[in-house]
Amino acid sequence: MSKLWVIIKREYAQVVKKKSFLIGILLTPAFMAVVIILPALLATKKSDTVENIAIIDMDGQGIGERFAEDINTYKLDDSSDAYKVTEILRPDPNDSVEVNRTRQRLDSLILAKELKSYLIIENGIENNDSCFMVAKSFGLTTGRRFDKVISRILSEMRLEKSEINLGTDSVMTLTRRVVFEQLAPGGKERDFLTTYFAGLIFIMIIFATVVTYGQVLMRSVIEEKNSRIVEVMVSSVSPFQLMGGKIIGLGLASLTQVGIWVALGSLVYLFKGDMVIAPAIADTVFNPVFIVFFICYMLLGYLMYSTIFALIGAIVNNEKEAQNFIFPVTMLNILPILMGSYIIQEPESTLVTVLSLIPFLTPTMMILRLNIMGSDTFSFVNPIFFEATIGVILTFLATLAIIWITGRIFRIGILMYGKRPTLPEIFRWIRYK
Amino acid sequence: MDEYLKLQNIRKAYADKVAVDNLSLSVPKGSIYGIIGPNGAGKTTTIRMIMDIIAPDSGEILVDGGKVIGEFKNNIGYLPEERGLYKKMTLEEVIVFFAELKGFPKSQTLDLIDDWLEKMSLSDYKKKKVEELSKGMQQKLQFVTTVIHQPKMVILDELFSGLDPLNIELIKDIILEQKRNGITILFSTHVMEQAEKLCDYICLINKGQKVLDGKLADVKAEFGSNTLQVDMEGDGAFSRDIPGVEDITEFNNCIELKISPEADTQEILRRLTEKVKVRRFEIMEPSLYDIFIKVARIDPQTLTTEEADHV
Repeated sequence: MSKLWVIIKREYAQVVKKKSFLIGILLTPAFMAVVIILPALLATKKSDTVENIAIIDMDGQGIGERFAEDINTYKLDDSSDAYKVTEILRPDPNDSVEVNRTRQRLDSLILAKELKSYLIIENGIENNDSCFMVAKSFGLTTGRRFDKVISRILSEMRLEKSEINLGTDSVMTLTRRVVFEQLAPGGKERDFLTTYFAGLIFIMIIFATVVTYGQVLMRSVIEEKNSRIVEVMVSSVSPFQLMGGKIIGLGLASLTQVGIWVALGSLVYLFKGDMVIAPAIADTVFNPVFIVFFICYMLLGYLMYSTIFALIGAIVNNEKEAQNFIFPVTMLNILPILMGSYIIQEPESTLVTVLSLIPFLTPTMMILRLNIMGSDTFSFVNPIFFEATIGVILTFLATLAIIWITGRIFRIGILMYGKRPTLPEIFRWIRYK
Repeated sequence: MDEYLKLQNIRKAYADKVAVDNLSLSVPKGSIYGIIGPNGAGKTTTIRMIMDIIAPDSGEILVDGGKVIGEFKNNIGYLPEERGLYKKMTLEEVIVFFAELKGFPKSQTLDLIDDWLEKMSLSDYKKKKVEELSKGMQQKLQFVTTVIHQPKMVILDELFSGLDPLNIELIKDIILEQKRNGITILFSTHVMEQAEKLCDYICLINKGQKVLDGKLADVKAEFGSNTLQVDMEGDGAFSRDIPGVEDITEFNNCIELKISPEADTQEILRRLTEKVKVRRFEIMEPSLYDIFIKVARIDPQTLTTEEADHV
């Protein structure tokens, strides 16, 4: 026992003393925040300079002028107009040469950056609903505004020509759209993105623990193998103690990291409250049942995958050889992220249920399912808790089996240098005395 | 004979070959014991089995009357043939770590560490990282990690490989000092000359099998003496015709005579003094190298001489 402790201490110290450990603690949440928040921020960010636009109006009912007027309800931060219509052109719609010449001229203006975009209003737009926007790149905002303005103009035109004797404004009021909200049982507000990201954060924590520290473990096995330190090690301790010491030591290091993240997260939550964490996420995070499951899955996931990485390290001679094995193992961890949108829509489908009970996938997939199906209604009649418990048991059994097999292979593999063993050889190692 | 280590009919076979076959040997307490053989003879496999790193297919290994399990390993210091240390740790950390793995308390290691580093002229590097050391220094450091926990037996696999002559002398002195302290030393080598200078007992193995073993002096006596070395003034070429002389090798002022087992050395000396002035007349013992080639009938190419090894 005390020898195991000596190894645990060394492995832990080797990781925690490194600068990369501290950097990882600070950078990972920052990176996640950037990946999740920044695109959303950028997409909704207002443009801060006026955009020059042109209009080709082949309809001839003054839609171009109305558009030029209405689009200027959109303002920049300094209350100046967001768009400047530089010209409204009216080529003859039947003279395709002229139309083309006009478009070519505007295209070249766009390429010369004198124009941001131009709008083509086709002849007979009222009936064929045909309208184009030409630009070099399309943001989320401008296209949506153009669409809104031109649709409104057309609606108004049609209304004026119809026999309904109502003011335009009152019709617009009549056709107002509802505010549509999605709620979970229990009445909590719920939408696709919050659910997805809440689940994603937990998957990322498991992923970071499993894949990062698994690979640290693998590299350390390869290093000891290459430098032949392993031979001195196993003359003092059993190979199983060596493997166990490494797995536990690095596991504690990763728990330290996650612990610091949780502490940082809790601090942010305490000081900023609902400002930062969406209620849907906060409900999940502070639910004790969920936390118990999460801890179970994280520990089992780490134990299972780090053992697999120890196995890879014992078999291969260098990191290059290891790459072939790392890829499928990493894929198993990424699968729930790739399948994320499907899992969120169909968390109870047979496919998802079966996949989430496969031990390699359980830790990440079950967390996502728990998040979707359970977070607001934590009660034991909810079938997800039964399935999640089965998942814990299956993963536990699978982990024991993997540890046993790896232990058998590890003790031989770490002393084999040079040639990479074939699969039949590895199976023979399992049966060796 | 009070033995510290005993191997009884050890056998280890791999898929394609038998590495060690029916090997028995016993290492007396407090002796320096050499396992000698060409590369691939099964020395490292034997040592790994003694250290319980791999299990023999059959046979028994006893250390101090018991099996090498668990805490028993604490009594043995092991220096493998292929060496390595954690590069990112300091010398002090590495030494403390490996001693702790042998169940030796940190406080005691810290008491001993300065003396050992001093002995190895590594004192200036105590707080430096291992990667800053030269290869030779790392070898010396590894030797310290092998012996600092005060084992009862030290096992050194191909001890001298990679050491320069100066460090070989240093390590030899330390080994002799350890022996004086009652520690049993087992080492393997394929370099005969080193074994000859250091060992009390030897075991020659070839192709996994024991060729011969015993006290070095006894082994040499058994193989008798078939070489005479004579320093003289004058031309010794005539000695070829003396009865009992089979072959001569001439050097400047010195000849070596290969003689037949039944030759009368006193008669040869008399015949020599008749014609030349003899300054020295010595009956040479056969070298281990000669014995080994004779007994094992192996190709001399597979054995390395000291010179060849240090090129």
